[in-house]
Amino acid sequence: MTVAAGIGYVLLALGPSLSLFVSVISKKPFLILTVLSSTLLWLISLIVLSAIWRGFLPLKTAAWWPYGILILTSVAFQEGLRLLFWKIYKRLEDILDAFADRVSKPRLFLTDKMQIALAGGLGHGVAHAVFFCLSLLTPAFGPATYFVDSCSQIPFFLISAMIAFAFVTIHTFSMVIAFNGYGEGNKVDQYIVPSAHLVAGMVTLVNLAPGGCTVGIPLLYFVAILTLIHAGKMVWRRLTENQSR
Amino acid sequence: MESSILESIGVEIIGVMSPVSICMFLVVLLVYSLSSSNPFSPSSVDNSIRTAANLVYVENPSDSASQKLEGALLNALVFIILIAIVTFLLVLLYYYNFTNFLKNYMRFSAFFVLGTMGGSICLSVIQKFSIPVDSMTCFVLLFNFTIVGVLSVFSGGIPILMRQVYMVSLGIIVAAWFTKLPEWTTWVLLVALAVYDLVAVLAPGGPLKLLVELASSRDEELPALVYEARPTVARAGHGGASPLGLLVTGVSDSSSIELQAVSRDIVNRNENDGPRNSEYSAVPIGNFENEEAHSNRDEGERSPLVGNSREGQSSSSDSSQYSTLVLPTSQDRQFGGRESEIVDEEMSPLVEMIGLGDEREQARRGGVEIADRGIKLGLGDFVFYSVLVGRAAMYDLMTVYACYLAIISGLGCTLILLSVCRQALPALPISIALGVIFYFLTRLLMEPFIVGTATNLMMF
Repeated sequence: MTVAAGIGYVLLALGPSLSLFVSVISKKPFLILTVLSSTLLWLISLIVLSAIWRGFLPLKTAAWWPYGILILTSVAFQEGLRLLFWKIYKRLEDILDAFADRVSKPRLFLTDKMQIALAGGLGHGVAHAVFFCLSLLTPAFGPATYFVDSCSQIPFFLISAMIAFAFVTIHTFSMVIAFNGYGEGNKVDQYIVPSAHLVAGMVTLVNLAPGGCTVGIPLLYFVAILTLIHAGKMVWRRLTENQSR
Repeated sequence: MESSILESIGVEIIGVMSPVSICMFLVVLLVYSLSSSNPFSPSSVDNSIRTAANLVYVENPSDSASQKLEGALLNALVFIILIAIVTFLLVLLYYYNFTNFLKNYMRFSAFFVLGTMGGSICLSVIQKFSIPVDSMTCFVLLFNFTIVGVLSVFSGGIPILMRQVYMVSLGIIVAAWFTKLPEWTTWVLLVALAVYDLVAVLAPGGPLKLLVELASSRDEELPALVYEARPTVARAGHGGASPLGLLVTGVSDSSSIELQAVSRDIVNRNENDGPRNSEYSAVPIGNFENEEAHSNRDEGERSPLVGNSREGQSSSSDSSQYSTLVLPTSQDRQFGGRESEIVDEEMSPLVEMIGLGDEREQARRGGVEIADRGIKLGLGDFVFYSVLVGRAAMYDLMTVYACYLAIISGLGCTLILLSVCRQALPALPISIALGVIFYFLTRLLMEPFIVGTATNLMMF
């Protein structure tokens, strides 16, 4: 039963990503490599951040503002990393196109580009879920569960799995939005991504308050759903434009 | 809609990465399931193991750090020296054409590893999960498993998939065994092996370099245990052949496709790994592996699995088809008239196990080579990657993920380097270095950070 619970938490956090991986990513080796490298990039960013914050942790105060600064810096750093990722991808795209010409294959389709963006985002999201949720889940396979004070209604593992799922969604699809925004030079899309990320991060601050998770998690899911809808609309628009052309 | 190039790029890399991933995953699972349940077992197991890897010093948890470090260094030194001696012995034997002896010795080693070490692991799994099985059934099953394994490791006529499965399971067994070494010794040993690997493959006069050169000059297979990432599904046209080269060319942006193909062919990596059982796997590229006899055997085996729908060149064997994947120019240049043979060779398994005299010490040598059709990775790489991850699994899951990512990316770097330089490369150094660095960074820096934020339910 405990093993079942543990697997349930894992699937709650990563199930959708898993199906995305199996259905879209795993057929194209290049996308797998993209997922791996973006996961690695995210891990490196996490290590750098934790190295910076290592001296200040654990925070002794009960005040929320140090955590606010922590999240702010982290989000800023990771958004900077997203720009870097985009630059790398841009170069890679040229290389891929050049190669495609050489072997007389078609250049990258629009859907290919979007899939690369999706793979990059999935890498970020999976890294998030793995490090923030999965790595803490080990005790969940054992014969007990764990509650935190600030949210005593549901087990800690369940909350972290739910939060991780929201963040996986946000990370995965905001990468698609961001890449399209950079590609088109669309300012709105470029700014919507960091702000969604930041808002999502700040919303988790609500969890610090006693009983805050009943408010924070629905808010977080609201942000995730907004991101999802925006990504869906944008992809739909690009695809129809592309076809009509 | 014509298939996009995304589907053809990176096939070879994934072909190597997925078995490595599977191997690491299973080792982690094994370590977890075996260690977590018996609270008393770790200490008893550790004490009971006495191998070439801890001849000098048996680690005691109560020892001071400097004592542990000193002992671990001594252990690693002795172990590396043993491996080096055995490797030179192997080269010597190979030089004087004792190939059959080597092969039979490897057969024996494979039998031994699968039978006894696999058997003991199997036994502990049965005990752990209280699987109701009687000893006769267990023995018969184990015996069959072992015999089929020995056959698949060496002779032709066995599906490549089977051979790959046995290669991975050999890696798993040896790695699971090595994870029982004490902690300090494991880390020092891993680093020492990476350094040794670097020297043995790249330095002039390094034993593995000698071995590869000898094999290539004789046009023979490398006598070692090697995992071949032979694709089971043929890719159409050049797409299949070019992925790795593509990545490389992208970087250098200058070389033509033919050059890419050539460079790919030439790259070999050899690696030595040897903990207790050090088995060296060498991965030769097609050129090195040419042995006609083998090729003939392999063809039969290969054809069904590979199932090429494409038309190969005129020759009927499937292997020739593989070679065709590479652009014709490159083939002609390199392989000349021997295409079919070459292909065969490349596909023929180079698996030899070298066991050291000790039951426990067998050296596996693994090298990685890329042939037209794929990359070969020494079994030793499998073992030591998995040892690292298995050791990380004893600390926390977080370190496991970090180490896995680091090792896989190191492997990716090595593969790309492989297609840039045209020689055998050691697969251990980059991956092990990254893995060790990431392990300690994760453990020292990241874990407090993550635990601190995540237990406050803050994420970003």
